[in-house]
Amino acid sequence: MAFITFSRESGSFGEEIADKLAMSLNIPLISRSVAMAEWFPEIADKHELHMLSESPRFYLNKSRLNITFAAYLEQKLKEMVEKGPAILFGMGSQVIFSGHPEAIHVRITASPETRLQRLSKIHHLGREDARRMLQLTDRKHKRYVSTIYKQDISDPAHYHLILNTDSLSIDESVSILKFAFENKQAKVETTEKLEEESAKPIVFKNESEEEFARILDMYGLEWEYEPHTFPIEWDSEGNITGAFSPDFYLPRFDTYIELTTMNQKYVSGKKKKMRKLKELYPGINIKMVFKSDFHSLLRRFGLDKEAHGK
Amino acid sequence: MKEKGIGRIIFTEREIQEQVSKMAKMLSLDYDGKDPILIGILNGSFYFMADLTRYMTIPLSIDFLSIGVYPEVTKKTGIVRFNKELDLSITGRHVLLVEDIVGTGLTLGYIYQHMEAFKPASLKICTLLDNPAERLLDIKIDYRCFVMPDEFLVGYGLDYEQKYRNLPYIAAYRPEP
Repeated sequence: MAFITFSRESGSFGEEIADKLAMSLNIPLISRSVAMAEWFPEIADKHELHMLSESPRFYLNKSRLNITFAAYLEQKLKEMVEKGPAILFGMGSQVIFSGHPEAIHVRITASPETRLQRLSKIHHLGREDARRMLQLTDRKHKRYVSTIYKQDISDPAHYHLILNTDSLSIDESVSILKFAFENKQAKVETTEKLEEESAKPIVFKNESEEEFARILDMYGLEWEYEPHTFPIEWDSEGNITGAFSPDFYLPRFDTYIELTTMNQKYVSGKKKKMRKLKELYPGINIKMVFKSDFHSLLRRFGLDKEAHGK
Repeated sequence: MKEKGIGRIIFTEREIQEQVSKMAKMLSLDYDGKDPILIGILNGSFYFMADLTRYMTIPLSIDFLSIGVYPEVTKKTGIVRFNKELDLSITGRHVLLVEDIVGTGLTLGYIYQHMEAFKPASLKICTLLDNPAERLLDIKIDYRCFVMPDEFLVGYGLDYEQKYRNLPYIAAYRPEP
């Protein structure tokens, strides 16, 4: 399942965007307050909880589970994304899930002047007090990731998307991120489906194909069953009206093999298709195994005289 | 030595020796200064290998490989394994695989894949008989002495039920009904 990690600068509207996005996508928003209220009480006493809310360095201490609080938090975050889609807000999640195929790493920024004005307005502060607040909160946001992971959260290399809200509204930002999430989710679902498909046992069309696959296995030759379909006929509007899927592909030798175990009189249609295939795709290397060849192969390999007698 | 089932002679002793000697000359030129290792695939190639290497005029090393089919509990067809592995290291060396017959190429494909893993400097194939009509795997045959007719052959290393390998010529063979 796809998930989003969120990093933000103070005064960038990061919280507001994350909130609205979670609502819009109907997925949970996991922030440090969730961790403090629901996860850490399981392993931390009152003093430890206080320290966890105050000091990033304290996360490096070992908990009663004999792992650090930081490692415990990582474990909980990993469990969350296993369960389903979510937005992970802060907590170094862009580093923890760096390179994760299902993650979108997002950072919300704005120019210092915009952020200053926003903080000043929201907290009814004078310009200088707002500047101090900005410096303080920016430093605090950076400190956790730099203390635990020795990384700089402002490094753009951590992110897939960086949105500058100087001129992007909260709704516009939500809309962009929603689109990105839905795309990612569709991609993840397709990948999962493909993995499920490839895990399924191959269903051969007939026994001969199965026998042939056994021969290839016997020789340790890598093969794929009907991996490619080549269009060979089109109607006047360019719609595909005929296609050919060779039975086997041997990637190491870049060779397709088509088995024909029908009687000779039924083979002409297949031969015609093969001819068209070769005309249209001259680079293709395809061999046809006819009924008689196939049976001589089976005789040779079935309980294998040839290899014994080499 | 004329026996029941042995048909016409396809390649005479003289034809074979002439062709093998020509091949040896070509290989001596191509591999001059390369100190090649010639690897014979047992059992069919042993006469060919013996003659070929004696006609060659450059320093070379010789090794043999033998493969066989071993039954596997979970499979009907068994699995191909090496009966005899190489004694020499081929990494970084110029290797020439010497076969008696290349037909489907499945056996050769198996050996070729195995040899490649040892990263030789070059890996080429020399066969006494080539049957390209039967080929399934697209393997390049670098040197071949004869194109094989569509017949079962015995002699000069080729057998029928382990017999007739010692014929000095190659003949067609039709098992008695």
